[in-house]
Amino acid sequence: MSMKKNYVVETIRKAQMMDMLEKGKRLDGRALDEPRKLTIETGIIQKANGSARVSLGNSQVIAGVKIATGVPFPDTPDKGLLVVNAEILPLASPYAEPGPPSEEAIELARVVDRGIRESEMVDLTKLCLVEGKSVVTTFVDCNIMNVDGNLFDATSYAVVAALRTSKMKKYKVEGDKAVSTDEVVPVPIERTPISVTMARLGGAVIVDPDAEEEAMMDMRITITTDDDGNICASQKGEASTISPELVLKAADTSIQVGRAIRSQMVEATR
Amino acid sequence: MPIVERKQVIPGDVIARGDHRYGPFVEKVGDDYIALRIGLAEVGADGVKLNPLTGPYLPRADDEVIGKVVDMNGFGWVVDINSCFDGFLPASFVFGREFSPATHDLSSKFRVGDIIGARIESFERSRDPQLSIRGQGYGKMDSGELVKISPTKVPRLIGRRGAMINMISERTGCDVRVGQNGVVVVNGQPEATTKAVTAVQMVEKEAHAADLAAKVEQYLGSGGDGN
Repeated sequence: MSMKKNYVVETIRKAQMMDMLEKGKRLDGRALDEPRKLTIETGIIQKANGSARVSLGNSQVIAGVKIATGVPFPDTPDKGLLVVNAEILPLASPYAEPGPPSEEAIELARVVDRGIRESEMVDLTKLCLVEGKSVVTTFVDCNIMNVDGNLFDATSYAVVAALRTSKMKKYKVEGDKAVSTDEVVPVPIERTPISVTMARLGGAVIVDPDAEEEAMMDMRITITTDDDGNICASQKGEASTISPELVLKAADTSIQVGRAIRSQMVEATR
Repeated sequence: MPIVERKQVIPGDVIARGDHRYGPFVEKVGDDYIALRIGLAEVGADGVKLNPLTGPYLPRADDEVIGKVVDMNGFGWVVDINSCFDGFLPASFVFGREFSPATHDLSSKFRVGDIIGARIESFERSRDPQLSIRGQGYGKMDSGELVKISPTKVPRLIGRRGAMINMISERTGCDVRVGQNGVVVVNGQPEATTKAVTAVQMVEKEAHAADLAAKVEQYLGSGGDGN
């Protein structure tokens, strides 16, 4: 039995899509800058410090946060740890296989992590307990439950929602040791980064591509912005190129679309 | 419609007892005929029959299917026929007996992503189904809108002797090709195509309705009779 490697898009379907893009529409009826329906649920895992389930169209991601104490990295002795990891479950897609994470899964985790880290969403200096010896470690693990394109954004939203609703024990320092108290405090959240992924098909740039659109796209660009509209991270994918004008347009789109999604995020994680 | 007693069954249900002929999705255990799928069972002159309500497309020889070329090797094309099995179209069926991988270029005929109409040439459990494009109307489809419906609903879409599908294609003026595997290709004027596609989806959604033909007719009739 032959193994299916990747989703192959039908030639006539792509021709139809290109026709519709010229009229400013997409195959599924969305406008070019219209993301799919986003639903955010938080607190779905009782034993985690924070958790969220996010659906973006048919893409679904669960994120869980585990907070503990540990030793800081030698180059950042005064900062806590924040590590984001993502895994695509074999059940999530006919094209996902068990085994070590694929290149896509690694890129996914890195891009999501970078958006959270570079926006300085969590004030890591507040997570330092004893400089060079003991800090608060924050691990965010994401499981992709269903794949229907744009996992970057779905996963990123899940991480942001989980972190925004995370609670941790308050630690006090006794001598040079950190001891946990019974008091529960929220994680020090400073900002709400929102990533917006766009795909270029011919001359059109579309927001939040689904699996079919991802199969026909020429290239993809993910831009993460913070509350003030500052761009804090970006990633380009696929082999094709993008013109400087389209990059600027994509940046504007990511700020605008990101603003609407951020208000939904803040509302859902209040 | 002749009156045959139909009943809903789930896997494990006893459909009938005694001595009958029986078709797929039914197993005989002792004297009992047991259902293997969720579906509508009927006991009639043809014996014990079970029409599954859901399920993948299971290839059968001589079925007309519409598939998507997903891979190519030296000897032919791998075709996604919307089933748990991949179809294989041998290059010798396309180029003829004198086919040789050295002289013939497979990509000159079909490329990955192309939609083709084909016939199931043969299918045994031990091998992937073999396809053939010999015959009229088979081969590459260059245009049209693709619709996928559940393969179990295909008989409903075709209707008694093609009544339903003929009605849709006559009323909208579109060319509607239906594969037994649940893939439908609609060709026609943009607005008529949208209408035909909606009608096809309506048949899938309301396949259980007794007055389905009337409902579809009413839908197609509304908004000016597309001759």
